[in-house]
Amino acid sequence: MPALSFALRRVLRGIVTIWFAVTVTFLLLRLLPGDPALAVASTNMTEETRQALLVQYGLDQPLPVQYVLYLGQLLQGNLGVSFTQSVPVVDVLLARLPWTLLLTFAALAITIVVGVPLGVLAASRRGGALDRAVQIVGVTAQSLFVPSVGIVLLLVFGLGLRLLPIGGAYEDGVYGFAWYGSVLQHLILPAVSLALIQLGAFALTMRATLIDALGDDYVTLAKANGLPYRRILWKHALRNALLPATTLIGLQLGFVVGGAVLTETVFAYPGIGRGIYEAVTQLDFPVLQGAFLLLAVTVVLANMLTDLVYGLLDPRVKTA
Amino acid sequence: MTAPMPEVELATSTVAEPAGERPGRATWRAFLRQPLGVISLGVLAVLALVSVAAPLLAPYPRGYGSDVLSPPSSAHLFGTDSLGRDVFGEVVWGTQQSVLVAVAASAIAILFGTLVAVIGAYVPRADALVSIVVDLTLSLPVLPLMILVAALAGPSTTTIILVVAAFSWPEVTRLVRSQALTVVGLPYVDAARLMTRNHLHIVARHVVPAVVPVIVVSVVVTASRAVLSAAGLAFLGLGDPTTWSWGRILFEAQQSGAMVSSWWLTLFPSLAILALVLSATLISISYNDARNPRNRDR
Repeated sequence: MPALSFALRRVLRGIVTIWFAVTVTFLLLRLLPGDPALAVASTNMTEETRQALLVQYGLDQPLPVQYVLYLGQLLQGNLGVSFTQSVPVVDVLLARLPWTLLLTFAALAITIVVGVPLGVLAASRRGGALDRAVQIVGVTAQSLFVPSVGIVLLLVFGLGLRLLPIGGAYEDGVYGFAWYGSVLQHLILPAVSLALIQLGAFALTMRATLIDALGDDYVTLAKANGLPYRRILWKHALRNALLPATTLIGLQLGFVVGGAVLTETVFAYPGIGRGIYEAVTQLDFPVLQGAFLLLAVTVVLANMLTDLVYGLLDPRVKTA
Repeated sequence: MTAPMPEVELATSTVAEPAGERPGRATWRAFLRQPLGVISLGVLAVLALVSVAAPLLAPYPRGYGSDVLSPPSSAHLFGTDSLGRDVFGEVVWGTQQSVLVAVAASAIAILFGTLVAVIGAYVPRADALVSIVVDLTLSLPVLPLMILVAALAGPSTTTIILVVAAFSWPEVTRLVRSQALTVVGLPYVDAARLMTRNHLHIVARHVVPAVVPVIVVSVVVTASRAVLSAAGLAFLGLGDPTTWSWGRILFEAQQSGAMVSSWWLTLFPSLAILALVLSATLISISYNDARNPRNRDR
């Protein structure tokens, strides 16, 4: 069963990646100069509380014992307590996670919906004016700083034209259908900012792989058979060129999440990223640690799922 | 940091160059024929000059000024911020910090990344470990990790340089390793192995020179990424509070709430970031084109 062994290997890799993230975090927290108690409690606590916390979290034990304890805590879903809000970090973050997921997926959807046609058009008119334009836009988009993009969009569409809300994720006091409408309205500007910085790389990869695919033998054969060029382009070549572009999305996921942190900060969007920003200003280390771990797990899981689905759809993945 | 490194199209020409001229010079001449590459090089030169000559261009912005949030004028070219400080001065001094971070962080990342890549390519037993560590690091959300470390270590320019470098080397290793692997498999490396048992000599004399083009591209791309990462950290409030940086101007604009009312506070540092990153990206693209002999004589 090659399909089953492929799935097993992929899941195993996901687990190893998560373990790696956890171990790196553990080592960083313990080996960096600074009080390890900072990772679980506030800076302005009394000495007794500090000692009690150190014992409670096993921070008085030798490093390997601490490591096992740490893994045990994480397996139980315990990420410590946010000392600014005095609630478990897991609760704080899980309430915020859906907004980050919504923003990230909306941005990826825009990237694909706009990026695929851009790449196809550029590749089919290679060397033409449109191709140059896509390349210039693509390279420039790659060099943008997300907050700058967000602020410009916010100034133009939010404050200048007054078309869209300038912050938050929904309007208070509206219910039912109107609430979903307000969520969508609030989503547009952050999602477009985040999509803009992914778009360049995606369209350029799409273009490059499609140009490769258009030089393949089966395309020549299809041309010789007299199939219309549009059909060869959109149905035959595009399907084969989609794989590298999809892989790129997977590789970029970590970057997209980083971009989401900055975008949410600009738009006061109530996701994990805005939570990170607030935790930084209050030096709430448990939240920062939890946010990284939760985002890492999310990225790894999302990558794993796309790979599994793609492995079922495209036999080339399994052998690779 | 938010965009992936552009894939480098490596012609195998690093080994077989037309005889008669040194390959580096041919590349340089081809590079000079590309207008975008030359302009970008000029922009980088200007930014480098600004960063060195900052004390001559503007006094270090500190304290409070009398004109709060005044738009650009002849007295204040880029306007003033919410404490009345000159934004032009902030951007100029921010250039110094950004260039410093870019150079220092990418230098560390390149040295370490190349070392790991070459060891991995040359010593098969180490390679498995190298590629696993690189793959794992690259699949994690790096910015949140940088934020955690920077917050723990405390905000300073040194912290930012080290943090950015610590999470940039895997990308360098990935690029350099794939090129080094093909070089190590080439017959002339086998021939060198027959002639000497000094592995260090083989690596230094035969493997490293062959990966230099990839390293050049990595330097440029890593440096521009470092600028974006450093700006991102500063924008979240993890920048050095005593040194001006482009990210800090944006952070303070956001904190004071003046970001939405005073466009000049965000426009000028944003343009500075874009100028630096875009010209670095264009240079790497032009260099790749110039290095590819197939593009040369057209």
